[in-house]
Amino acid sequence: MDNQTFIREMFSEFYNKNIDRVEIPKSIESREFGFTLFKESTMIRHKGFMRAEDLKEFIKKIVPSNVYYSSAYYSMPEAKMDEKGWLGSDLFFDIDADHIPTECNKQHDMWICRVCGLKGRGVPPTICPRCGNLGFDEKGNIIGYRQETWPCEICLETTRMETIKLIDILTSDLGFSISEIRCAFSGHRGYHVQIEIDEVLKLDSMARKEIIDYVTGTGIDARFHGLEEISHSGARILVGPGLHDFGWRGRIARGTYEFLLKATAKDLRGLGLRKEVVENLLANRDMILESWKASGPWNMIKGLGLRGWEKIVQRGIQFQSAKVDTVVTVDIHRLIRLPGTLHGKTGLLKISFPASEIETFDPLKEAVAFKGGEARVYVEESPEFRIGEEVFGPFKEQTVNLPISAAVFLACKDAGKVISYNV
Amino acid sequence: MEAHSTLRLERSGMLTLSDMAKYPFIPEAAEYIRRLDFKIENLLEDDYAPILSRAEKRIIDALTTNPPKVGYNPREYGEDIEIISFPVAIVLVSALANENVKRRYALAEAKRAYELLREENWEKVIEVARRFGWRIRAANERIGSVKFDFALNFIDYLRNISSFHEKDWKLVNRPVLKGEVYLSKQDVARLLQEEIQRYIEAKIDPKVRSILPEEILKHLERLRQTCAEKIRESPVEDISSLNSIGVVGDAFPPCIRQLYEAAQSGRHISHIGRFTLTSFLIKVGMDKNMIVDLFRKSADFNERMTRYQIEHIAGERGSGTKYTPPKCDTLQTHGLCPGANDLCKKIKHPLAYYLRSARSLKKKFRG
Ligand code: SF4
Ligand SMILES: [Zn+2]
Ligand SMILES: [Zn+2]
Repeated sequence: MDNQTFIREMFSEFYNKNIDRVEIPKSIESREFGFTLFKESTMIRHKGFMRAEDLKEFIKKIVPSNVYYSSAYYSMPEAKMDEKGWLGSDLFFDIDADHIPTECNKQHDMWICRVCGLKGRGVPPTICPRCGNLGFDEKGNIIGYRQETWPCEICLETTRMETIKLIDILTSDLGFSISEIRCAFSGHRGYHVQIEIDEVLKLDSMARKEIIDYVTGTGIDARFHGLEEISHSGARILVGPGLHDFGWRGRIARGTYEFLLKATAKDLRGLGLRKEVVENLLANRDMILESWKASGPWNMIKGLGLRGWEKIVQRGIQFQSAKVDTVVTVDIHRLIRLPGTLHGKTGLLKISFPASEIETFDPLKEAVAFKGGEARVYVEESPEFRIGEEVFGPFKEQTVNLPISAAVFLACKDAGKVISYNV
Repeated sequence: MEAHSTLRLERSGMLTLSDMAKYPFIPEAAEYIRRLDFKIENLLEDDYAPILSRAEKRIIDALTTNPPKVGYNPREYGEDIEIISFPVAIVLVSALANENVKRRYALAEAKRAYELLREENWEKVIEVARRFGWRIRAANERIGSVKFDFALNFIDYLRNISSFHEKDWKLVNRPVLKGEVYLSKQDVARLLQEEIQRYIEAKIDPKVRSILPEEILKHLERLRQTCAEKIRESPVEDISSLNSIGVVGDAFPPCIRQLYEAAQSGRHISHIGRFTLTSFLIKVGMDKNMIVDLFRKSADFNERMTRYQIEHIAGERGSGTKYTPPKCDTLQTHGLCPGANDLCKKIKHPLAYYLRSARSLKKKFRG
């Protein structure tokens, strides 16, 4: 039996029994929907549905491998892109391990050059070291790399931390209330964060870019946040933000604190700081820590001036910024995965939950779609993975009996072949 | 943003006749004129000659000063004249039906308001801002060594900074707490200038021409002639500076413009975005060093890598392939197309957009 047939059958059965798990977006009649199928490679786009029932019937009928809907509202969602009549768009953030280089991606992620077939681990290179493939042919068509990524626990935990930072910025700084923020596990390697209140709908791309720059700390100049040289009874002294200041002021201080707490000589030299300065910083670590209780370390390191501090601060900002995908938020015509539907790369559900539960939400448990059943699977190669409470693998070239959920997962990842199954 | 360009009449704060003369776009001023029962035909009567002449002066000021600014001189013009001449000038500018005049006039009036607002006390500034639906309050907050008098809802803030390129206007470089941006009076006045300019632009409607009496149209013709030489090109924008090196920045399609600006402000650009921008800029003949400099602001800038990639795309390394940017289709699926404009609908490739648009721009400069 081929994997695709198996996956499609499982998806079909899931939608037949659980169609009410599909979450119907607000103002369904103004949204555009898109679907990918198992056989055809093109996406069905520009679909519109007047009623929830119509959408559900459609999903049951076509059994899509992925279901998307527009974060935008249109007066005519089925029209061509430039005739749809844009009415507004939810404020949407995507946090995905694909955009956050974790240490473990070198172990579980793989890329294959589409031109020469070279394989490697981790993030694909910008230029293929063997054939010079840039990811494009001379006409600008994308040829790039085939990527096989893995939703590992460490990566998921990393994206959770970024999501927590994002929610903090959205509430503390931008003033959204926690109940206005919807979170979702994407069904693969990250989280979605969405705000649907009227106030944000009309924000144009430029305004959303500013919001993105705000949450990612892009373009910060610490001199606007209190890092400056002032004269104090005749002497020039450096002052800077404090840990408890609000907005990016405080974040800059806390990020700098975090960075200096653990920075090694190599980290500091990497910033282009002089050797004596690096030594001073390391030798005075305790004093620096202590100084945050008062006016901070800004004026206490010999040889470290405004320029040097600016470099350190930039590193500190990285600790505090939320690593969201910048393209997604700015795109006001974006299609996003529909909550309550299956992810074609994992067989897991995209599942939404209130932002207040982000700390405790267990994606690999809540997103499991298939309960019960068993399958016999030949696994080519797979790192360790967890589905629900159970941990599987690592496997290499072996035949094993697995619950259906794990079998669907491996089949979706193309890491094994399903030999037989019963549900 | 339509909802915000309509003014609200709020009964809470009081604005006086002299405020209306300073800020004739506020709803109280329109209400005042309504009560006077003034009609456009009245302008032909001798009594109203000063109003017509003041209205014309407003327009001439806008077209002949640089930067454009309408004057304010309470000793020369009575409050009534100042208030009524504003909507009259709007009607005249509408009838002139010229984009450049429209933008310049709106800017000049907004600038006038800005300079007056800077000198007002905080209550007045808040009153005017609230006429535009701003969620603003007095703050009196000291943050570090700076004192901030106002706190403005961040969405109202974002709506008004889109034409600013300076670092200090970026939201991320502002004190932001609980959805409010802390601002000085100077900043609030500057942001209001933007709001006022948009509001006035929206008021100017070329359709009014058809309802104007013959006499007024004749008058308008004279005005057009007086200003003919003085109607200058609108002030140059950032990207236009490329024009001097033969690259027509103004002809960039929206997708490239967006990437270019992202690179300029050091925002993260995806691999496809970088490839698109770089291959595009090489194709239109931009110097490689300039491209390197363009990426200099990005957080992960590495001069050697950047140069290597640019040379690779230019076909000076590896296989010698010269790369072309992706076509619209590809850019659309990767979310790099900010939405097609009229010219976009006629083309399938950003380079085609550029060639067409550059051609027609050059024609316009010469002709
Ligand atoms: S339609 Fe093509 S040229 Fe126009 S913005 Fe989109 S991608 Fe660029
Ligand atoms: Zn290769
Ligand atoms: Zn991982």
